[in-house]
Amino acid sequence: MAPPRAPAASWYECDEAFIPALHQPAVAIDLALSRGHSLRAMLRGTGMTEDALRAGRLLVSPRQYLALLDNLERLMDAPDTGFLLGQRLLPGQYGVHSQALRGAADLLEALERLVAARALLTPLLAPRLHLDARHACLYWVDACGCGDQRRLLVESAMTAVVAMARALTGRRLPWQFHLAHPQPRHVEQYWVHLGDDLRFDCRMDRIGIAREHLHQPLPDHAALAGPAACAASRAQIAALPGEAGFLDRVHEYLCAHSGLPLNLERVAEAFGTSPATFKRKLHKHGTTFQAQFDAARTHVALHLYEREGLGNEAVAARLSFSDTTNFRRSFRRWTGCAPSELRRLLRGG
Amino acid sequence: MQNTLSLFHLAAAPSLRPHRSTLAALLLCANIGLLLYLAAGTPAGWAGIDWLDVVGEGGSALLTLVWLVMLLRSRPPGRVTRWLSGGLGCVFFSLWMDCLDEFVKLPDAVTWDKWLESGPMPVGLLLITVGLYHWHCEQRAISAQMEKRERLFREHRLFDKLTPLAGAEYLRRQLDLSLRQARAERRPLSLVALDIDDFDAVNRRFGHGEGDALLLALSHLLLLNLRHQDLLCRLAGDRFVVLLPDTGERVAQDIACELEAAVASFAYHTQGQDERLRLRARTAALMAVDEDAETLLRRLNLGLRDERRDTPPAA
Repeated sequence: MAPPRAPAASWYECDEAFIPALHQPAVAIDLALSRGHSLRAMLRGTGMTEDALRAGRLLVSPRQYLALLDNLERLMDAPDTGFLLGQRLLPGQYGVHSQALRGAADLLEALERLVAARALLTPLLAPRLHLDARHACLYWVDACGCGDQRRLLVESAMTAVVAMARALTGRRLPWQFHLAHPQPRHVEQYWVHLGDDLRFDCRMDRIGIAREHLHQPLPDHAALAGPAACAASRAQIAALPGEAGFLDRVHEYLCAHSGLPLNLERVAEAFGTSPATFKRKLHKHGTTFQAQFDAARTHVALHLYEREGLGNEAVAARLSFSDTTNFRRSFRRWTGCAPSELRRLLRGG
Repeated sequence: MQNTLSLFHLAAAPSLRPHRSTLAALLLCANIGLLLYLAAGTPAGWAGIDWLDVVGEGGSALLTLVWLVMLLRSRPPGRVTRWLSGGLGCVFFSLWMDCLDEFVKLPDAVTWDKWLESGPMPVGLLLITVGLYHWHCEQRAISAQMEKRERLFREHRLFDKLTPLAGAEYLRRQLDLSLRQARAERRPLSLVALDIDDFDAVNRRFGHGEGDALLLALSHLLLLNLRHQDLLCRLAGDRFVVLLPDTGERVAQDIACELEAAVASFAYHTQGQDERLRLRARTAALMAVDEDAETLLRRLNLGLRDERRDTPPAA
């Protein structure tokens, strides 16, 4: 049986230059300049030059943007760097993409537009939206290999969405935060910039909220200009090398087909490449097939537990494990704890 | 307030530029000494050089020069800087001449070389001693200026990068010490947290530069409204925490109310549009019971949240 083909098989890789330097990279640079650091120090080792930046049409790759953020973190040397960056990112000044966010009818539409334009609005860490009858949650997937910068990126991505929601609705919303990393020393930054409902060590980065908050009409809703900006935004995204990062696409595919007995060869075939090329691409993005596969199955398992209320046996069957013991052992290997422990952690018990 | 501000900025940008004449004078003296030796004596042959002396004396001279540069780089010009740099300059000159006589043999009739080698050393050490005494006085004056911003110990790496206050990490360590002290002496210890309502709106309307300027102004305002034994820190963002030693919950509540009133009547004008901002602060005050710093901070933070629920959203 041939593996199902990957849908919408376009993606961008970490060394493809498509991010306008005057969008988010400029936000990071402005933050460093406002704290008295020099442009030269910020650009060191990124391969970007001052002249090209000033000329205005420079495009940078995700890897270059990541190097820039690395410089930012090192120069600022403060626990609030990710949060300060996040406050400045969304809705931002990115032409039609920002207009599409600002002109949304409600917060849900704004989040959907954010996800659709993620290649430009959050090129390194891709947000995905999950909805059910009463809940909505936004979780983030590594788009093209962020390595050690993950915590900074998560802090800024969460702050960006929370700040955007606050700016659009004019209210402070009761978000719930799940973070993959253990509680850091600077937890007070999370209290002040995000909120009090925090859970660490959760093996995933996501924020959740009751759905009713997403359907309140927004005061700045632009009934005519909003959809027009959204269409223009979509057209610009479609012209990029890809609408999502390579790892984002891999994660999407693995989650969608988690019930099948997948392996490197079959997934490579679905992505239209040879196993060797696929392996090389994963390596270039700092990961392996096994790591991606485990992360995707953890993700699906938690989703089934939490949102569909399934028990161990049903989840094991959905992930095509022959028996629960086997599944529990694998789950422990993926996450470092038993399913019941992690479920308790996520509930905040 | 203006004074403290400019003092802070002056100290923030140290450079060698204002000290160029001092360094030039020192190099000139070293050169003159060298020329004098060469004029009066003859170069010693390779065999006559005691390399142990050269390394010992030359190395000491070099290190003294490094100290001098470090001193000049870290201090603005002034009386204390003059004493200390003059002293180090003399010590350097003395060691330099000492090292030179390994390379140049002077005839026995010459006696002034002893004066050049040994004379500047005691003078230099005397100057350094005087300089250190005045430095001590200066340090006490600066510590008085740091009142309410620093207690018990100093750690510059824990200072906030934006306001002239210490950050959360410094607060944690202070809190640990103060809790232990309070428990040992059976005295109360209280904390007040203060958070500005809708601070994000300032950033959004006037830009983040304006938000930063407002935080700086607020930190000065809060300092003026505290007692001399209190410690003000910026926890994160627009949230400040005051550590109140020797204070019960009742007095802490009063101080919290005073801070709220001070913020409410603060006539802050934005720098760009010169618009008058109306600010409102929210506070939480509590007294430490038998708990560690982390739990106490968490409880204080939750206190702010409960306050927040009571007030309607500022939509």
